[in-house]
Amino acid sequence: MFDYSILPDDTVRAIIVALVLFAVSFVFFIIVALYTLIKYTLYSNKHKGKLKLVCDVAYFHERGKRDNQEDSLYISPMDKVDETGFVAACSDGMGGLLNGEVVSKYVTDSLGENYPYKFDAQAENAKIISGISDRIYEEYHLGAGATLVMVHIFDDYMNFYSLGDSNIILIRNNRATLLNYKQNYVTLMIRKLAEGGLDTSDAYKDTRAKGLIDFVGNLKCNVLTTSRPLRLIENDIIIVSSDGVTDSMPLNRIVNHIHLDQNAAGIARTIKYGVKSRKNPRQDNYSAVVIKMKRSFV
Amino acid sequence: MIEYYTFKHRGAADEYKDEVFLRLVPNLTVAIFNGSKLDSPKSQSLLFSEILSSEEGRNGIDYLNQTFEECLDKDSEYLILRVEQKGIESIRKGDVRAKIVRQGQISLLPNGYFGLSSDDRIICATDNFFKFLTNEGILADALVADSCNDWMDMMVRRISDQSQLKCGNLSAVTLKLNR
Repeated sequence: MFDYSILPDDTVRAIIVALVLFAVSFVFFIIVALYTLIKYTLYSNKHKGKLKLVCDVAYFHERGKRDNQEDSLYISPMDKVDETGFVAACSDGMGGLLNGEVVSKYVTDSLGENYPYKFDAQAENAKIISGISDRIYEEYHLGAGATLVMVHIFDDYMNFYSLGDSNIILIRNNRATLLNYKQNYVTLMIRKLAEGGLDTSDAYKDTRAKGLIDFVGNLKCNVLTTSRPLRLIENDIIIVSSDGVTDSMPLNRIVNHIHLDQNAAGIARTIKYGVKSRKNPRQDNYSAVVIKMKRSFV
Repeated sequence: MIEYYTFKHRGAADEYKDEVFLRLVPNLTVAIFNGSKLDSPKSQSLLFSEILSSEEGRNGIDYLNQTFEECLDKDSEYLILRVEQKGIESIRKGDVRAKIVRQGQISLLPNGYFGLSSDDRIICATDNFFKFLTNEGILADALVADSCNDWMDMMVRRISDQSQLKCGNLSAVTLKLNR
């Protein structure tokens, strides 16, 4: 193919030397890469228990078919995670009331102002949220309100706080569970019907029963909070979202859509497009913070 | 102090095939009988109750279990939990289980003696109750609830969301041990 005889001897020698050097450095590179990979795998396996559980975080914040964005998110600074833990929250302005976007933004801004939170002071943190709620009540007198879901993760443990009907979803072993219960009239009706030994189908028939019994903006609200933290494990996925997400994408559909080897950004993207693809003409605002727990040296 | 709450619901079935028994003296004993696999659950349930009232407190839980095995139909299913000074003794047969919430985790309570620490929470229930719940849901509710009553209400809400409580007999007991 090539006639090397027309090249000067010096040039041919230079090409041969260059090729030999390239081959040697390539083989050396492969050996170093293999050695590093083997060492890393052995070290990871040996120290698996000692590796820290860290949060891989992503979010989306979409308006849907609404004129205003009434969802608001809060994600705590990542530079102090080791000292104070990681906090993520989602607040959803209540439909039908005025100033939904103002109130939800006020809630998340106030959460940011109160950061950092003590991890083991759940009652104290709930009191801070209750204080935010009281201030909104004093301003609007039940004329405006919002829901709030907040998680606080420190090492392998998580506390959560909830007011209203937004979602804290835990996906573990390919199964999704809503961790917080919804504070609406359905809950009260179920309690009454169950106490009376009746079935609860009537509780779901009345659409007004979805009305909230507690929310941010209510005076002396009852913040749902964990009294002790929940233990997290590797590959747990936590989704802190507004109800716009689960209205279009129920929990089992979320699990079917995502892949467990995806990172947080991939999961957030999958859920976002999953909701979008439903093409719901009355799609509510939909926002979520997605947290995936990973083991890492960092 | 021991706090407990009992839940029993027919679940739109024609009759009760489960039964929950509580004995407060000399120790708190919780027993759940499940007769869903029996032709005449009522008579077996009465027999279970009779043995429990006659024998409980006199002999060890193993002896009680032996008596049940001798006298009851082989398809009878039950769970007996006896709260002792520093722990809990349990025996189960069939699809009646107890789960314990401890340090932010949930696990199945094994047969035999199990030491308890403060703030442990226990749920005993039939398989029909557990089948609508995930471990994570039970755990989250236990950590949020202020009382055993609240904890039960939250789990019943989860079951209701899936079955509207038209799912057959539901029997469960929640326990909280503050030491």
